[in-house]
Amino acid sequence: MQQLLTTVLTGLTLGMVYAAFALALVLIWRATRIVNFAQAPMAMITTYLALVLIDAGYSYWLGFAVALLSGLVLGAVVERFVVRHVEGKSEVNAVILTLGLFIVLHALAALIFGSRFRSFPAPFGLRGFQVGDTTIALTGFGVFTIVAVAVVLVGLVLLFRGTDLGLRMRASAVNQEVSRLLGVKVGRMLTLGWALAALVGSLSGLLIAGGGLVHPSYMDGVVVYGFVAAVLGGLDSPVGAVVGGVLLGLSLSLVSGYVGSELVPLAALVILMAVLLLKPGGLFAHVRERRV
Amino acid sequence: MLSVESLSAGYGPVRALDEVSFEAADGEITAVLGANGAGKTTLLRTISGLVRATAGRVFLAGKDITGRSTEDLPGLGLAHVPEGRGVLAELTVEENLRLGALGGGRRATAEELSRVYGHFPVLEERRDGLAHVLSGGERQMLVIGRALLSRPKVLLLDEPSLGLAPKIVTRIFELLRTLVSSDGLTVVLVEQNARSALSIADRGVVLNLGRVVVRDDADALAGDDALRHAYLGF
Amino acid sequence: MTRRQLLLALGALVVVILVLENTGPFRNGQFAAMAYYAIAAGGLTVLTGLNGQLSLGHGALMAVGAYTAALMLQERDAALPLVLILLIATGVTLVVGALVGVAAARLHGPYLAGATLALAVAVPGIPLYFSETLGGEQGLRVRVPEIPTWLADAVYFVTGQDLTPTRYLAYLGWLGVIIVFVLLANLSRSRIGRIWQAVRDDEVAAELAGINLGRARVLAFVVSAGCAGLAGGLLALSARIAAPSGFTLTLSLLLLSAVVLGGLGSLVGALVGAALLTFLPQVVTGVGEDLGLTDVQAAQLAPLIYGLVTVLVVLLAPAGLAGGLRKLTQWRRST
Repeated sequence: MQQLLTTVLTGLTLGMVYAAFALALVLIWRATRIVNFAQAPMAMITTYLALVLIDAGYSYWLGFAVALLSGLVLGAVVERFVVRHVEGKSEVNAVILTLGLFIVLHALAALIFGSRFRSFPAPFGLRGFQVGDTTIALTGFGVFTIVAVAVVLVGLVLLFRGTDLGLRMRASAVNQEVSRLLGVKVGRMLTLGWALAALVGSLSGLLIAGGGLVHPSYMDGVVVYGFVAAVLGGLDSPVGAVVGGVLLGLSLSLVSGYVGSELVPLAALVILMAVLLLKPGGLFAHVRERRV
Repeated sequence: MLSVESLSAGYGPVRALDEVSFEAADGEITAVLGANGAGKTTLLRTISGLVRATAGRVFLAGKDITGRSTEDLPGLGLAHVPEGRGVLAELTVEENLRLGALGGGRRATAEELSRVYGHFPVLEERRDGLAHVLSGGERQMLVIGRALLSRPKVLLLDEPSLGLAPKIVTRIFELLRTLVSSDGLTVVLVEQNARSALSIADRGVVLNLGRVVVRDDADALAGDDALRHAYLGF
Repeated sequence: MTRRQLLLALGALVVVILVLENTGPFRNGQFAAMAYYAIAAGGLTVLTGLNGQLSLGHGALMAVGAYTAALMLQERDAALPLVLILLIATGVTLVVGALVGVAAARLHGPYLAGATLALAVAVPGIPLYFSETLGGEQGLRVRVPEIPTWLADAVYFVTGQDLTPTRYLAYLGWLGVIIVFVLLANLSRSRIGRIWQAVRDDEVAAELAGINLGRARVLAFVVSAGCAGLAGGLLALSARIAAPSGFTLTLSLLLLSAVVLGGLGSLVGALVGAALLTFLPQVVTGVGEDLGLTDVQAAQLAPLIYGLVTVLVVLLAPAGLAGGLRKLTQWRRST
């Protein structure tokens, strides 16, 4: 019973982080029809920037803020100057481009920050809460993780549903040409979309790193899990990304707890194939209207 | 209000538009007619900047807008309702409308929205629903209302009657006529359905293979049997 | 096989003999590596270039071949001849490739990329879990069998030199390259190759023409998997070990970028890509150290350059280097 509770709580916390990463992928997919596989090393680099500051003595929160801000900038720069050239063209080229970026960012990180494993702090502590005389598997950091992702989600919902800017961004994602005819500066909306997605990605990078070890490949598994979560929920659905992330986190936690942590990536692969073969549109597939 | 001078556009050796010139005057409906492939849609898309002009100029209220970015044009007073209507199906009806106003440079006021709903009551019923549940006629009304909210000087309409029942076409065309008379709107109306178009238009331009064949008053065109048979299909 | 191909193959064989016999063990080892990269890249370029299926998981398929071979090479005196072992490794990977291919056949673009990415990340975990039989983190040691005496004698007879183990592996690898490339070239030119291209270019038209999309795709996947399996077996022999750390995600990505740089769909390009993968790191690392980087840092320069060039190729010359060169020669001929 205790183990089940632990597994569920761990899965929930981890699931929220996967949800954040999945959301980043979904945002970019909706806007530019590209899966940004390079999101993982992008998040890794912004986390390293935070680590540099923290190791130099600055507060965790400053590092946190810098990571998020640099994520914004990195996302904008990558879209505007690199990805812009392949938007709307061959899918194959876009995938290869993000993979090339993946390799470049990995190598840069190893070059600049080194390949050794470094620990990353976790605010609010890593001790489980005491309930009566048992310690449950929910830590202060775990609560922070859940709250941070929830805050970002709410913020994004408010932005997209409640503001004119959000409306313009959604329009750009639905139909670029019509949006341009309506006076929407689509290029800027796409850049902003990538910037926000990268911000969310950076958040997940920080949350994965907290209490653990950082090294250039530490986010590589997350890109797979984020992708599987996004597909599980439906690549077009932000709500789906969140639900998919939590579901995936729970499932993988169960596999890790009851089978073995080495087979977690395999379990993710199996889940992915199951979704793609049974319900390819994901749980929240809505029939995509033909643009009339 | 809208002046097109020797506008040419093409893809490599193919000249989709060949030195097209015409004027659309204030408070008038100018119909652009011709067979399929005559270049009517290309003409509108070139005016809007979606297709690059290889030669010629376009003037809007005296200002040269040739080569300007598409997204700048609604702010300058040009609204283009594209072929296929361009409904943003995943957004709500009201969100579509609000976007129209934003393109014109400011948020839609409650009065402006009321006015559009006044023209199209069925839209008001569905204002919070997703646009993709609308029928063809309702979509056409939506995109016209959306275009009007940007307070345009010139409205470009690409085949609004496509796929619509004649009764609805009549309603929409009557509405266009009313708007032109009451608001002084300038309308450029591209239509395959030449008969209906000429019935509400003031002037007509006939295109064939990217070139202007004739420019004249709508009545004169409607009355010219030979021309009608040759280029307009009736 | 056409007469031209036969001549090319024989010519290639002569070149291989000349090069290998006149270089020392270190270079021989490098050429052995280039051989298995070339085989893997050849299969991948056919899959991605001709059939349009993007696979990020071919490193994982190489792992399958490597571990299969390693399992049969645990004893000093292997029960089976080496060639047979390699064929079995290829065969097992073919089967795995069929399974993956069937699942992948219905996927496109990013979905396929993501699924094969998941494969690349998942497979290294399997030997970690089954660490008893598959060696865990340390991996499985591979015992390279003795060179058959008849072969050593034959080589001495032809070249006057002894056959070292490294050179033996290099010959094995390059023989593999020649055979595989002739096979791939023939496949590409055949009806099957045209079917693959038709499926890549326009699915609807291909289906209307009576082509079974799924079967064509799976076949392409199987062929490329077989190549990866053979390459993996050769890798296990050359490295004398099969371990999870040898089959990281980076390997899959580097393979793909090598294929892109050489030009998707071009076998010559696959050779070019393999050469880059083998020889560039040393050159670049040397330059890096001269510039004052530590050796660990300098080692990152090679992947950095691959990544950058891949990005540049996509942005500037989507047809890859070989394609870009082809266009250049065409343009020059026309002016």
